[in-house]
Amino acid sequence: MTDIAMTVNGATRTGSVEARKTLADFLRDDLDLTGTHVGCEHGVCGACTVIVDGRAVRSCLMLAVQAAGSEVTTIEGLAPDGALGTLQQAMWDSHSFQCGFCTPGFVMQASAFLSAHPDADEQQIRAALSGNLCRCTGYQSIIDGVLLAARRSRAGISEGISEG
Amino acid sequence: MAQIAAQRYTGASIRRSEDPRLLTGRGRYVDDIKLPGMLHAAFVRSPLAHARVLSVDVCAARALPGVVAAFTGADLEAMTVPGPDALSTLMGAAGPTPEFTLLATDKVRFAGDPVAVVIAESRYLAEDGCELVEVDYDELPPVASADFALDPGSPPLFANLGDNIARSRSRNEFGDIAATFAGADRVYDFRIDVHRHQNVPMEGRGCVASYDPDLGVLTMHAATQSVHVAKIAVTMRLGMEPDKVRVLAGDIGGSFGLKIGASREELATAAASRALGRPVKWVEDRTENLTASGQAREESFNVRAAVSNDGDLLGLDVTMVIDTGSYPGMGGMVPAIIEAMLPGPYKLAALGFESVGVTTNKAPYVAYRGPWASETFVRERVLDLIAKDLGLDPLEIRLRNAAPRTDPPAVMLTGRPLAGVTTRESLERVAKLADIPAFRRRQAQARAQGRYLGIGVATFIEAAPGPRSPEGASGPMGSESMRLRLDEDGFVVLFTGQMPHGQSHQTTLAQIAADEFGVPFEQVRVVVGDTDVVPFGLTGGSRSATMTGGVTLHGARRLKAKVLDFASHLMEVSAMDLQITDGNVGVRGDPASAVAVSEIARQAASGEFGADVDARLEVEAVFDGGEGGWSGGSHCAVVEVDVETGIVTVERYVAVEDCGVLINPAVVEGQIRGGVAQGIGAVLLERSAYDADGNFQSATFMDYLLPTACDVPRIEIEHLQTVPLDADVNFRGVGEGGMIVAPPTIVNAIEDALSPFGVRIYEQHLPPARILELIATAGSAQPSGSAQPGRSAQPGGR
Amino acid sequence: MYPSRFRYEAPHTVAEAIRLLAAGGDNAKVLAGGQSLVPLMKLRFAAPELVVDINNLPGLSYHRADPDGTLRIGALCRHADLERSALLAGTQPTMAAAAPLIADPIVRNRGTLVGSLCHADPQGDWASVVLSLGGSVVAEGPDGRRSIPMTDFVTGPFQNLLAPDEIAVEAVIPAAQGERRGGYLKLERRVGDFATVGVAVSLETAGEVVRRAGIALTGVGASTIAASAAAAALTGHSLTAESIAAAASAAAEAARPRTDHRGSAEYKRHMVATFVERILTRCSAEPAERAA
Repeated sequence: MTDIAMTVNGATRTGSVEARKTLADFLRDDLDLTGTHVGCEHGVCGACTVIVDGRAVRSCLMLAVQAAGSEVTTIEGLAPDGALGTLQQAMWDSHSFQCGFCTPGFVMQASAFLSAHPDADEQQIRAALSGNLCRCTGYQSIIDGVLLAARRSRAGISEGISEG
Repeated sequence: MAQIAAQRYTGASIRRSEDPRLLTGRGRYVDDIKLPGMLHAAFVRSPLAHARVLSVDVCAARALPGVVAAFTGADLEAMTVPGPDALSTLMGAAGPTPEFTLLATDKVRFAGDPVAVVIAESRYLAEDGCELVEVDYDELPPVASADFALDPGSPPLFANLGDNIARSRSRNEFGDIAATFAGADRVYDFRIDVHRHQNVPMEGRGCVASYDPDLGVLTMHAATQSVHVAKIAVTMRLGMEPDKVRVLAGDIGGSFGLKIGASREELATAAASRALGRPVKWVEDRTENLTASGQAREESFNVRAAVSNDGDLLGLDVTMVIDTGSYPGMGGMVPAIIEAMLPGPYKLAALGFESVGVTTNKAPYVAYRGPWASETFVRERVLDLIAKDLGLDPLEIRLRNAAPRTDPPAVMLTGRPLAGVTTRESLERVAKLADIPAFRRRQAQARAQGRYLGIGVATFIEAAPGPRSPEGASGPMGSESMRLRLDEDGFVVLFTGQMPHGQSHQTTLAQIAADEFGVPFEQVRVVVGDTDVVPFGLTGGSRSATMTGGVTLHGARRLKAKVLDFASHLMEVSAMDLQITDGNVGVRGDPASAVAVSEIARQAASGEFGADVDARLEVEAVFDGGEGGWSGGSHCAVVEVDVETGIVTVERYVAVEDCGVLINPAVVEGQIRGGVAQGIGAVLLERSAYDADGNFQSATFMDYLLPTACDVPRIEIEHLQTVPLDADVNFRGVGEGGMIVAPPTIVNAIEDALSPFGVRIYEQHLPPARILELIATAGSAQPSGSAQPGRSAQPGGR
Repeated sequence: MYPSRFRYEAPHTVAEAIRLLAAGGDNAKVLAGGQSLVPLMKLRFAAPELVVDINNLPGLSYHRADPDGTLRIGALCRHADLERSALLAGTQPTMAAAAPLIADPIVRNRGTLVGSLCHADPQGDWASVVLSLGGSVVAEGPDGRRSIPMTDFVTGPFQNLLAPDEIAVEAVIPAAQGERRGGYLKLERRVGDFATVGVAVSLETAGEVVRRAGIALTGVGASTIAASAAAAALTGHSLTAESIAAAASAAAEAARPRTDHRGSAEYKRHMVATFVERILTRCSAEPAERAA
C-alpha cells in the first residue's frame, strides 16, 4: 500500500492505495466522488474522463499512484457550490443528455476542449468528442450544448448562472 | 373534446428536472451505492461454449485473504428455489421450459456462462479469487449455428428437452395464401438475414443486494426497467415472501430492454447476500456485458412475395428462424410479435407465417429496443427489391401499397385496426424534405465523377401502445396505475411504476400533471423506484407516453376534482366556481380569494373534518390506453459509399414522425435520434460475433464498435400533425421507432448507391469488407423478374 | 476488470529506472502513457510483476529539431504534443498526417510516440511512420546508450529489441537529404479503431528527383512492414504515373495481410496499393516541406 496525496477539485485529498487501484476507483471509492463513471474499464468509452494537470485523461487507465502530487478536476469540481457553469447550463438548455451515465465524461472533455479552442466549429467539436461514447442521444444534442456554450462564452455571458 | 386544463407545459421543450443533478455528478447509479460492510462479487465464467462441468474447486479462492466466500452452482442450488424465468412467466410465454441451475452445475452452455461466484472485500480481490477457482470441463461439440441446432443430431443444450428447439415450429395463415400466390403475376423468393447485435447501454447490469438478517428483509438496489418485475424475480428465486423483499432503483445508465427482471448473476448476488448476512455488490464490466448479458436480432427469413405487375404487394409467406441463444429470454416471444406486425401499414391480402426458435451455445436472446424490428427490415427491404425488379420508384411502390386512412380504419390482416396511421402523409412529407428529384440529379453527376451516392426511404408503424386489442386491456401491460396525492407542502406527488432510464419521465409526467392540476411545473414530484411505494409498472414497449401520460392526465383531473370538492367545504363556495391556477385555489374572477394548495392540504390533514367530508387528497388512477393508436413515420437517408474502401458515410438523415401529441418535443427528438444512431451502428459497425466453435469475438469496445460523434449526422426531424383518436390522451410512444426503421432506411440507401453495380442486399450488417464483397460478387446473381406463368426465383442471401 | 497485483516503482532518474529494470528481469514492464499497457493488464493479457513508471523522469517531454535538422522525440512526448506541433506541421508531413489519427483525442493526451514504438503493435501507426523516415530508437541501459534503427527495433508482434534492462529514451528522425514530402493514410472502420490498413510514405526530394524514399505498412503483417522494394522503385526518379504505380504495386506485394473480420487479404492488399498511390499522387502535386 502506498500513501498518496493529490489536489482534487481544489482540496488536498489523501489515501492509501494498492498500486493497481485506478484513479477512477480512487476518486469513486476512496474519495466518494462518484460523479466520475466507469463505462468500459479499458479506455474506450470516455465516461471516466477527468482533468489531470490540465489535460483530459481516461481515469480508468491511470493508476491512482500516478496522480500523486497532481491537480485533478472531476465533474463535481467543475462549477462548485451547486451552480452550473456555462457549459453545464448550455447542456441543460439543449437537452444534451438522457440517462446521464456518459455525461460527466462528455462534460469534462468538452470543457477542456472549449478552454483551448473557444472558436471550434461543429466538425472540430465532433472530432474532439470522438473518444466519448453515448448510447442514448445520437450526439446531436450534446454537440448543440457545446456549440451553445461556445457562443455564450464568446458573447461574454459569464459562468455561474444558477438553476432556473 | 375536453381540453387539458391549461396549455402551458405540455408541448413545450421544458428543461429536464433531472439534469442539474446529472450535469454536476450528483447522479446515484447502482455502482455509486456504498453500504456498511458491503462486499463485492465477481463471477467465474466458462471459456468454452459447450461443456460438461466435471468439478468446481473453490478451495484456493476461499483461502485467499480478502475473499469472504466462494459459491459454486451446487451451493447456490441449495440456497435458491429452481424455477422458470420470471419475465417469461410474466409475459405468458408458452413452449418447452428448459431445466437449468442458477449457476452452471452440470453443464455450461455459452462462453461466459457463470460457473461460480467469489465474494470479497473488493472487486479487485474477488477477481483475484476467480483466477484461483479450478473448473474441470469436458468439452462438447458446440451448437454454434441455427442450422446445426435444427439438425436433430446436434447435442441438446438442455437434457430435458432432447433437442435444440426452443420454440416449436408453428405456422399461421391469414387470408387465402394459396389463391393469392396462384393468382399473382409474379412470385419472388428472398432469403433475408439479420445479424446478432446488442443493447450496450453505457452502464452495464448490476445490483447491490442487502439482506438484513435481523429483519429477514432483502433490499435490492437495482438497475432495472421495473422494480416490481425485479422483485417478482427475486422473490420467486429466493423463495421469499413479497413483504420481505424490497427493490429500489435510482438513476439508471440506459438499458434498451436489457435490464428487465433479474439476471442469474443478480439472483446469485442476492442469494449470496442472504447467506452472508451482508450487502453484496455486483456490477458487470464491459467484457461481461458484451459476452454474457444477452444479445438480440439474430433472425433469418425466407420470404415469398406475391406481387402484381404494377407493384401491388398481394401476399407474403414468411418462414423465420430465430437463434435464441442458450438460456431462455425474450427470443421465444419475438416470432408472435413479428407475425402480428408483418403486414405493417400496407394492404396485404394474405400472410403466411411459420417460425421456429432454436437454442444455440450463445448468450441468451434479450429484448433490444423494438425486439420485433426485423419485420420492418424484411418488409421494407422486400419492397425495394421488388421495386427495383419492376422498375418502380421506391416511394411510389410504398404509396401504392399503403392502406388508405379510412373511417372506420382498415384492419391489419393480423387483427389490429390501423387507426390514425399517417403513412401516406409521412412518406410524401419525407420525400418532399429530401427533395428526391434534386438528389437524383446530384446522384447522376456524382456517378459521372466516380462517386456513389444513394438515397433510401423506409416507413414503419409502431404499437406505442397501439390500439387496444379486441378483447380489451389484458395482462400487466394492458393498463397503467398511478397514485396521485396533494401533499401538505403543496406538491402534487405522482407515484408511478415507471422506471426512467433516459426517458425523462420526471419531467414529462410533471408537465402533464402541472397543466392538468394547475400547479407550476416545479411543484410536481414524480416518485419512482421503490416497490414499497409505487404501483406495478414497467418502462418498455414505448408505452409510457400513452399509458403513463394518460393515467397522469386522468389522475390529475380526479385529484383536482377531489381537492376542489374539499376546498368547497373549506371555503364554503360551490366547487363549480373554484379553479386551481399557479398552485392556488380560488373563486373564478376573484383573485383575492386565492388560497395556496399547500394550505388546503394542511387543512385536509388536520383531521378537523367529519366523516361526511372526504379530506383524503389522494387518488388511485388506472388507465387502459384510451383510444391509443399507432406511432409511425417515414425516414430517409442519403449515403455515400466509397467503393474503394467500402466505407459508408451517412450524409443526411431525415425523419418524419407521427407520435401523436408531443409532451416534450426535445425529449421526443432525443429518443428518435438515439434510436437512429443505434440503427446506424447496427448496419455499419456492430456485430456480436461468434466463431464456428462458439467463441465470442466481440468482447471489448475495440471489437464491438459503437458509433461515435463522427459517425452520426445531424438528424432532421419533422413531426406530423397527428390524427387525434381520443378525447384527451393522444400522446403516443416513440422510444423504439428510430431503431426499428433506421436499419432498412440505411440499407435501402446503400443498395441505391450501389445499383450501378447491380448489388442486391439481403442482410443488415454491412461493414467495409462486406460492401466490397457485395460489389465484387454482384452481377453473378441477376434478379429475374420475368412475368408469369410460373414462379420467378430470386437467389437470395450470400 | 482489474490487473493482478504488481510491484510499482516510479523512479526519478533514468539510472534508477535502469537499475529497477535490471533487478526486475523478464517480468518488468515500463509504464509511460499506459494507454496500451494498462488495458492489456486489466484484461489480464499481460501480468508483469513489476511496473516501472517513467512519467516522473525529468526532461523527456521534448520534441525538437537539432540545427542539422535531426528531429528528436523524448520518451514522454505525448501524441497530443505532436498533433499540436508547429514544428511538425512545418517540417514533417508524414508525422503531421499521422498524429491526429492516433487512437482518439483523450488517449492522445497520455500516450507517447516512443511508448507506441516499444509496444510494437502490428496495428500501431507510429512504427510505420518512423520506419518510413528511416528513424531509430535510442535505448539507454547499464552500459550507456545505443541507437537501434527502426528496421531492427521491432522483432515481432509486441516484441522489440530492447534488453530487459534498457529503456527507450528517445526516437530520432534523421535530417532530410532534400525537401520532405509524404503522408499517412489509415483505413479504420471508425474513428479510434485500430488500423485495418495504414500506409506511411516519406520522400526527400531534390528538385523533382527522389533522393530518399520510405514506405511502411501498418496492420498487414505480423509486425510493421518496410516496403523496401516499393521505396527503391521511387529512389533516383521523379514521381510519374508509372513510378507511382510501380511503387504501389510493390508495396502491395510486400504486404502480408490476413483475412479476418476487417476484410479479406486481397482487400487489404488493394488498400495498400490505393493508399500508396493516393499519397504519392498528392506528393507530386503539392509543394514540398522544407527540411528544418
